[in-house]
Amino acid sequence: MFVRLLKLTLSLTLITLGFVSLSSAQNPVLKIGFVGVTSGPAAAWGISNQRSMETRAAWLNELGGVTIGDTTYDIEIVSFDDQKDPKRAIAGMEKMAQEGIHYVVGPNVDDGAAAVRPVAEAQGIMYFPYAFPKALYTAPASNAVLGMIASYQSGPPIYKYLMDNEGVSSVAFIAANESDPLSQRDNGVEAANALGLDIVSENVTYQVDTTDFVPVLTPVIRTNPDLLVLSGVSPANAPQLIRSARELGFEGIISTETAHDARVLQEGAGDLANGFISVGGASTPEIASDAMKEFVQRYTEMFGEYNDESNTKVYALEYILETLKANPAAIDDVNEFQKTMDTFEAPNPFMKGDAKLSYVGMTSFGQKRQVSVPMVINVYQDGQFETLFVGTVD
Amino acid sequence: MEQILVNGVYLGAQYAMIALGLTLIFSLMNVLNFAHGQMYVIGGFVTYTIYGQLGIPFVVALFASCFTLAIIGALVERYLFGPVLKRSAREESSMLLAAGIALLLDAVILLLFGEKQRGVPKIVDGVFNWDFRIIIPYDRIVICCLAIFCIVAFIAFMQYTKTGRALRALAQDRVACQLMGVNVDRYSTIGFALGALLAGLVGGLLVTITGVNLGMGTPTSIKAFMMVMIGGAGVISGAIAGGIILGFLEAFGLAYLSQYGDITYLLIFITLMVFLAIRPQGLMGKPWG
Amino acid sequence: MNLTLKSKLLIAGGFLVFVFLFIPFFISFSGRSDFYFTLTSVALLSIASAGVWLTFYIGRINIGQGAFSLIGAYVSAILVMKAGMNFWLTLPLAGLFTAFVSVLIGLPILRLKGVYFAMITLVLTQVVTLTALALPITNGARGIVSIPLPRELSVFGVTLIPDLGTMDNPKLAFYLISCVLMVLTYWVLYRLVNSRLGQICRSMQQNEELASSIGINIAYVRIIVFAISSFFGGIGGSMFGAIAQSVYPSTFQVKDSIDFMLNCFLGGLGYVFGPLLGTFVLYFGWDLLFILDKFQLLVYASIVIILMRFLPNGLLSIRFSNLRRKSD
Repeated sequence: MFVRLLKLTLSLTLITLGFVSLSSAQNPVLKIGFVGVTSGPAAAWGISNQRSMETRAAWLNELGGVTIGDTTYDIEIVSFDDQKDPKRAIAGMEKMAQEGIHYVVGPNVDDGAAAVRPVAEAQGIMYFPYAFPKALYTAPASNAVLGMIASYQSGPPIYKYLMDNEGVSSVAFIAANESDPLSQRDNGVEAANALGLDIVSENVTYQVDTTDFVPVLTPVIRTNPDLLVLSGVSPANAPQLIRSARELGFEGIISTETAHDARVLQEGAGDLANGFISVGGASTPEIASDAMKEFVQRYTEMFGEYNDESNTKVYALEYILETLKANPAAIDDVNEFQKTMDTFEAPNPFMKGDAKLSYVGMTSFGQKRQVSVPMVINVYQDGQFETLFVGTVD
Repeated sequence: MEQILVNGVYLGAQYAMIALGLTLIFSLMNVLNFAHGQMYVIGGFVTYTIYGQLGIPFVVALFASCFTLAIIGALVERYLFGPVLKRSAREESSMLLAAGIALLLDAVILLLFGEKQRGVPKIVDGVFNWDFRIIIPYDRIVICCLAIFCIVAFIAFMQYTKTGRALRALAQDRVACQLMGVNVDRYSTIGFALGALLAGLVGGLLVTITGVNLGMGTPTSIKAFMMVMIGGAGVISGAIAGGIILGFLEAFGLAYLSQYGDITYLLIFITLMVFLAIRPQGLMGKPWG
Repeated sequence: MNLTLKSKLLIAGGFLVFVFLFIPFFISFSGRSDFYFTLTSVALLSIASAGVWLTFYIGRINIGQGAFSLIGAYVSAILVMKAGMNFWLTLPLAGLFTAFVSVLIGLPILRLKGVYFAMITLVLTQVVTLTALALPITNGARGIVSIPLPRELSVFGVTLIPDLGTMDNPKLAFYLISCVLMVLTYWVLYRLVNSRLGQICRSMQQNEELASSIGINIAYVRIIVFAISSFFGGIGGSMFGAIAQSVYPSTFQVKDSIDFMLNCFLGGLGYVFGPLLGTFVLYFGWDLLFILDKFQLLVYASIVIILMRFLPNGLLSIRFSNLRRKSD
């Protein structure tokens, strides 16, 4: 037994080392980091993130690499699993600094993003968290760039749209009893108040490990809202919540401000998920460019199955590389990067038309510390997402 | 009110089944099986693969789940827990082994089944709705009845078969059992396999309602610990009582405390702690574990 | 097993030289400055694990240390942010407050034994996490962020610890301070185990009723030991908050509580320095396996299982089994 396991361990090590040595081709290598959660309950967030980066990197390398200044680099993604533990996230950031990496995507959650801030600022690392606390992006914080649309940015337009088009007048919120969803719920409640919506229920929470939502939802559904907002709902919980709400006889609209996967919704809730509104990224047919379609295809080839959550996560790597192209001096100097951010503009390869990549965030953070991605609001219909409307963030 | 009671019964039956396997293993070997939740998740994924993906009938998938887990359980007992328990100075040390196995199973699940939430087609469609006083989907009724049936079958098995009697004797007094000529090693393996089988069975059953994802393992184990604790560790009836009590506690707690929002579970947990401080052996447990 | 005083001093001296001289030199020589944080973590987590080990010493399985670490982290963060106190003053206060809380909680729950105590402490971790989420003073779900680095600590004008905010390498400072705390913790633990209290604890581990019958006030001893144990947890948590400069309800959670306990198992429950070694192997091991990418968890888990399968009494038991074999 022992010998066999030892052999297994050894062979696994060799295989991995083999992969590492294979991937280093003739070009010099530019390492981009990823620190996020790729195991445990929230693994779906980090894995979809890591895989979309790896897909894009492999694709770029196949095309001969990325030319920054006078040098052409092969892109290598270095990932660190922080197990959704802020202590590990710090270790991951240190590891990135050790690898000489200046650009990191992640972490995926609020506490991790807050915990890595001292390290990133001390070590000269720009990081692109998928976490929403404003303190991360508002001065004096300098090195974090929000990698997606924040809930307090996408929430109000969704509510406004539903008020204008669907006659929604009352809203109920439900959130998991955990930092990120609770903060997002509070933001949502604030936005709904500002819009003059009638908030009929906002206090109901569920434990992260809940698997059966009927008891949780029963009192919420009794208040009979027009709109049920699943604040910060994780992809694993969304189908169960939708299904339970519908089975309890809820007939209003269900929405959230996080990204979801169509296949997961279909398996978990089937037709009951029709009409579910979520924030999407780039892959709906109405807006996806050919490059985006090819990305989805390559992702599917590499990992067997696409994850729609990756739609919101294709951008961060693209922004890093394009900004570096715009200012090659930034390759090992984040101050140069920060200077370039104010004026940077490049075409958006993943979207039809002449959409641009640029940094935004003046309204929310007072400095340009957010990637400008189209705010695509999706609605789920029969196993696919359809675009409801597209907005922008400034 | 009716709805709360129905929710309680349903949650309770489901929880009791999860707790059964854990308490069985605990009573036999004094092992707190941290990997119980992961075994449950594997059961769910096996059923998902066979029923959800290959389209083979649900019952077959359920048997496959049970079978897979029974094998895993037997192997784990034979090659890991058995030898370790014989050699360790303090039997609590097996907790690290159990946690290691939980991690290993987590890694295997991630590599084999991926990171996404999975669900299977409903086994029965439709919702039972009695004038909006009781709303319960039919598939939940089916699963609830199946769960109760399995619990009854399990009790009958433990009461009336030779294996069941041997297992109960083993749980009561290992040494005496050995002196009476029971093959202790063999029955330990059988007992562990049976406990794992129960985890696989409930995983397969519940995947039809809750779906399954790789992160459910550890929270499920912890919830099962709590039920076992309420009922009294190592007592079969205690696990069932614990599951049902936790089910009702949640159903009532969520119904009456929901307006206080964030503190619903806080109150449930504090109630639990107070209860245990007053009655440390749980409802039916042997005092002092 | 019984080492002479001389060899004990040699080992201790060697360990100190290793921790305070060799490692900083090695890191500056090899340029692996990321090891500072990892080793700082090991030092701090091993302080909390030492507390867990101490409760094992009175025969209690403690899966609640995460709760006390979280309390410690919050006490320091709140005192620094709201009262503007110097972090170094809040550090002992965090430990004392945690110990005080543990006395209140310990009074009812320390009567429990075995698996019941384990489970109630497990629930305790969740209770504290949920409380942190619900209370206004902890800033609920939003956590306490942007905590400044610790200020200067001086006694009678003598600077003991310089202002970390102005230092070029606060990582080295954190490492050295954490290691000092770790050494102090294990020194206290060692003295404790070899004192009269340690003997009483050993007797309680064997049989509490018997210990009680020969006139030991077991309730009192249990509370004292539990308070010391939680004090360690609070100190470790408080330091962690200072390094991360942020505290969230999820900074210490059930998983951490379980990890603290596993550290003790891996090192060996029978050895004072078991939790130190266990923390080192479990925490540092994960970081070293970083190169394995998606097989990291698989290999890590396999190693834990193999270690436990062949050394069920902890890593430190290897020394003695070898000795025995030689004497055969």
